[in-house]
Amino acid sequence: MKKTVIYGASFTAFILIACQPTAQKAAVSEKKEEEKKIQVKKEKKKNLAERFKIALANQDKWQKACSNPDQIVPKGIDVETFRKEMMATVKFPEGGVIGKDIKRGEKLFGDPDKGGRSRRGNCYACHCGDPRILACGNIGPSLRGYAKRGIDPKDTYIRIYNSWAIVPCSVMPRLGYHGVLTPEEIADIVAYMHDPESPLNK
Amino acid sequence: MKEKKYLVGIIAGGSFLVAAVTAQEQTPSHLQELLELGMHPGHAYVDEGRELFNTMKGPNGKTCASCHGEDGSKNLEGAYARMPRYYTDIGKVADLDLRILSCMTQYMGFDPKDKKFRKEFDKWSGKYRVPLATFVASLSNGMEINVQIDDPQEEEMYKKGEKLWFMRVGARDFSCGICHSVLAGKRIRLQGLPDPVKAKVYTHWPAYRFGNDRMWTMEDRVRSCFRAYFLFEKKWNEKSDWVKKPPPYSDWVIALELYMKHAANGGVIEVPGLLR
Repeated sequence: MKKTVIYGASFTAFILIACQPTAQKAAVSEKKEEEKKIQVKKEKKKNLAERFKIALANQDKWQKACSNPDQIVPKGIDVETFRKEMMATVKFPEGGVIGKDIKRGEKLFGDPDKGGRSRRGNCYACHCGDPRILACGNIGPSLRGYAKRGIDPKDTYIRIYNSWAIVPCSVMPRLGYHGVLTPEEIADIVAYMHDPESPLNK
Repeated sequence: MKEKKYLVGIIAGGSFLVAAVTAQEQTPSHLQELLELGMHPGHAYVDEGRELFNTMKGPNGKTCASCHGEDGSKNLEGAYARMPRYYTDIGKVADLDLRILSCMTQYMGFDPKDKKFRKEFDKWSGKYRVPLATFVASLSNGMEINVQIDDPQEEEMYKKGEKLWFMRVGARDFSCGICHSVLAGKRIRLQGLPDPVKAKVYTHWPAYRFGNDRMWTMEDRVRSCFRAYFLFEKKWNEKSDWVKKPPPYSDWVIALELYMKHAANGGVIEVPGLLR
């Protein structure tokens, strides 16, 4: 009886001693994280003007080339070189340009349950596609029946990843280049567009 | 007889076409009705602004009317038609919103560093800025926009605005110009893209937008446009690195306003507008 008490007591003591540093560590790291959060908030608030200035200065050399009243590649810049440089930025996903998750592709393209909305791909802002989505733009060509046009899925992938590799200075955002969409996400959109069962192609 | 019938038909058809074309250029009839019935939701802002203008006292006891006369009768008619412009008393090119803020802080005794006041002023639904701006703008109704660029600061601002208009930037590679100059007339979803530079749409701002049931000044409009750019500081990330808007009353905003409003010179002001 006595022995068990002693064992028990020493065991609890051991646990208490052993756990103290980790508990302290946890408290310290929590504090640090909170401090970090506060700092991020402060920085955000600190200087909106400074942040906006930096954001504008982030303009890349290709964007700069397109920043003229015609919004096309200006004279003096070779269009073919422009295309090649853009093509060199395209990264392909490991599993190939046709993804597996067609449903995710549809959601990224424009969620039919939300009237075709999607902040990520947002394709319906400029393109029509699924006939159920009436609120579609006409800036880009309609994508109805896209899979029947005999377009190589790899070209579709490149167009979405970096549209400027095909049409420099196009209004279509370079979604993969800027990381608005990941290569895997783009592959899923490609899968959705090329699937014969997709509402786009029916 | 037959020929006569044709002739009448052609004339009738022709006049119908002409009527249709002119009708398209005027205020749509349902809006005209709203105006005639006094049911334009923007007019509530004009009335509220007028009330504030005449009665709201600053910490030093002055009202807007103390300097500008009751209802702005002394010197504010047509003032909005010439804005944005350089003001010697603040040493800056100012738009309507900044001009009102400067008046309140310089002449009515509001403290520009008072956070509570600034928050209330900057806020969309705040009680000072939007109603006052709408009222002051309405004092120029029926007049032509007449923005002059003769001060060196105005010139510099105009050039800045023109450059910014065409500047492709952000994670979406947008510029104002690509949609509102090059692609004007096309549709983003169901929203037609106006050309503020050629079509003088500035005549209808500030405008009540029933899309979100609010009055918008051009400050609000321009700043909100930048949300679509997906601007970032380091690398685009919607959650942690999204520079949504330029600061209020900053040069970027005023420069774009100056560029657009100068292009609208000659357009007849009709505010508050009523837009989607």
